[in-house]
Amino acid sequence: MKKSVTTVAIGAAALMAFQLSGCASSSDSNSASDSDSGNCVSGPIKIGLIPKLGTDPYMVTVKNAVEAAAAKDGSTVIYTSPSDATGAAQIPFVNQLISQGVNVIAISGSDLNSTSAALAKAKQAGIKVISWDSDVAPESRGFFLNQADTALIGDQMLTSLYNMIGGEGEFAILSSTQTAVNQNAWIASIKDKLAKDPKYAKMKLVTVAYGEEKADVNAQKAQELVQAYPQLKGIIVPAGIGLPAAAEALSQSGDLGRIKLSGLGPVTLVNQYIKTGNVQDVWWNVQNLGTLTFATAQQYAQCKIEPKQGTSYDVDGLGKFTVGENGTVLLGQPTIVTPENEKDFPF
Amino acid sequence: MLDALVSKFKTWEFVLLVLVVSMLLAASALVPGFTRPFSISTGIATFAPAALMALPLALLVIVRDIDISVASIAGLSSVAAGLAIQAGQPVWAVVTFALVTGLLCGAVNGFFVAVLGLPALLVTLGTLALFRGLCYVLLGGTPISPLPDFFTALGTDNIPGFVVPWAIVPFVVLAVVFGVVLHRSTVGRRIYAIGGNPETARYSGIHVARIRFLLFVVSGVVSALAGMINMGITSQVAPDGALGLELDVITVVFLAGVSVLGGKGRITGVVLASILILALRKSLQLLNVSGYTQGIAVGGVLIASLLVTNLSRQFFESRRERRPDPSVDAVHV
Repeated sequence: MKKSVTTVAIGAAALMAFQLSGCASSSDSNSASDSDSGNCVSGPIKIGLIPKLGTDPYMVTVKNAVEAAAAKDGSTVIYTSPSDATGAAQIPFVNQLISQGVNVIAISGSDLNSTSAALAKAKQAGIKVISWDSDVAPESRGFFLNQADTALIGDQMLTSLYNMIGGEGEFAILSSTQTAVNQNAWIASIKDKLAKDPKYAKMKLVTVAYGEEKADVNAQKAQELVQAYPQLKGIIVPAGIGLPAAAEALSQSGDLGRIKLSGLGPVTLVNQYIKTGNVQDVWWNVQNLGTLTFATAQQYAQCKIEPKQGTSYDVDGLGKFTVGENGTVLLGQPTIVTPENEKDFPF
Repeated sequence: MLDALVSKFKTWEFVLLVLVVSMLLAASALVPGFTRPFSISTGIATFAPAALMALPLALLVIVRDIDISVASIAGLSSVAAGLAIQAGQPVWAVVTFALVTGLLCGAVNGFFVAVLGLPALLVTLGTLALFRGLCYVLLGGTPISPLPDFFTALGTDNIPGFVVPWAIVPFVVLAVVFGVVLHRSTVGRRIYAIGGNPETARYSGIHVARIRFLLFVVSGVVSALAGMINMGITSQVAPDGALGLELDVITVVFLAGVSVLGGKGRITGVVLASILILALRKSLQLLNVSGYTQGIAVGGVLIASLLVTNLSRQFFESRRERRPDPSVDAVHV
């Protein structure tokens, strides 16, 4: 019994020492945060980047672009690396960046709310917060750098297929799942265009199939569509897993060419088919998102811009951007990737 | 006197204490920002749910059981709390509803393990998936927020005037309660007796099944409490609440010196092991080590502590065999 009491006492003493050492250093950390809070940075900034997942190639592409932009004026980038794509897993990384006294935290939110308490503490410490790729709660951040307006993606996929099949004939859609929110919004806007825009009067949507986010199901469904509809001239595949799978399957069966494919997904996964001219991809330049993120962070930290609607600012190499509703800045219209511009998309 | 001192040096708690002190000193010296009040309070708050769940788990492991579904129970209880919040219930009702949910989850585990006699590891592996699945079924993909101020304060605020967050208070209180129960009460002695030899315990008139069942229920209730702290930290109720916390919880328990073979382990060890893992996590975090590598580090500590506690047991047992005089060695057992 005595033994345990002594150990508890020593343990408590150790805890106290831990606390005391914390108190002792509190004065210098306070002064550090004082100098940060409300002050505008002049010159290089210190930016902390929080992705959804540290190893996600999309996120790493953005990181590389941010680092390239930061290197120009000697700014520091701290790229953190959560291993779970949950908002909760991002909290320790927000706290870490607050302790490290960064000027800006740029986060791709795994969910809207998990980090809000931590981001509020960042704000209190005088740190500017922006979100990119995927938004956090609007009151938690200043700017949101949105890579693509979802409404435009559907239109661009339809335009792309229109160009490839010469504006007339039957086509199908091979979507991801029946409940996929983004995909259903794009399909709705495609149907809307077909019904209202006379330009598409000669194009006929025959069916919508679902590839269930699995490569093998997508491959099988693509071949079934080709057999079921002998007059089929094209398929729109609005999913990153489906497009390469469908292209591969139709290429092997020899149907690709007679059947054209349009869709959405990382260019690197389909560029071999884009080069043949039988596949086009609606995508955006992921590097540019990194460039925009750093430029916005820099000018925000230097107090040159505020997240107010109508504010506009220049980004080196990308031109002029204007802040929309709720501090949202749109990267631009999604691009149709063709054999001509395929080289501009490293992701 | 000297023997007593020597025996103290041989306890695992003492080794842990040395590790904790050296870890804290090293981290204070080498990790920039480690001693900042902000780092300390956020580090403690983030780790609080895991530390809390380690207390009842230690007791379960002492009676040769285990509960790996703790994080799922925490998640399901917070989903229950969230549904109560959505229904406009007051805070006391929300808390009660969550605790009752935790209690029922624990009772499910306890029923299958203690009453039906199924292996605890497999039963709780099943309920780990089952309870987590229920989180998604009940809540769908949309998290519930905002939460009543009570929960956000519990998860994110410090006790006014201190570097200590509210989130750790339940752990501190329950550590004392669990310590007293385990080391000073009849129930505590029975728990050790069951762990030491369940058959003997049963023949000495201990209600083995009842105690094991109750320990699962306690584990469920405490996990519910951890779930509520976690929802405060994350400012929302999400189906993935507390997901994956069981790694830290189980690591704390085995690092604490609680033996897989039962009958061994102390609450002091759990407290020290919590501080150690907390300091390790926070140091790695401040050194900008990725979540993946943190997983490697904590997993490594788990394996290492199993190895060390097992080897030291073998070492001491072989020494006992060589030395026939039991009075010399009995001290450290």
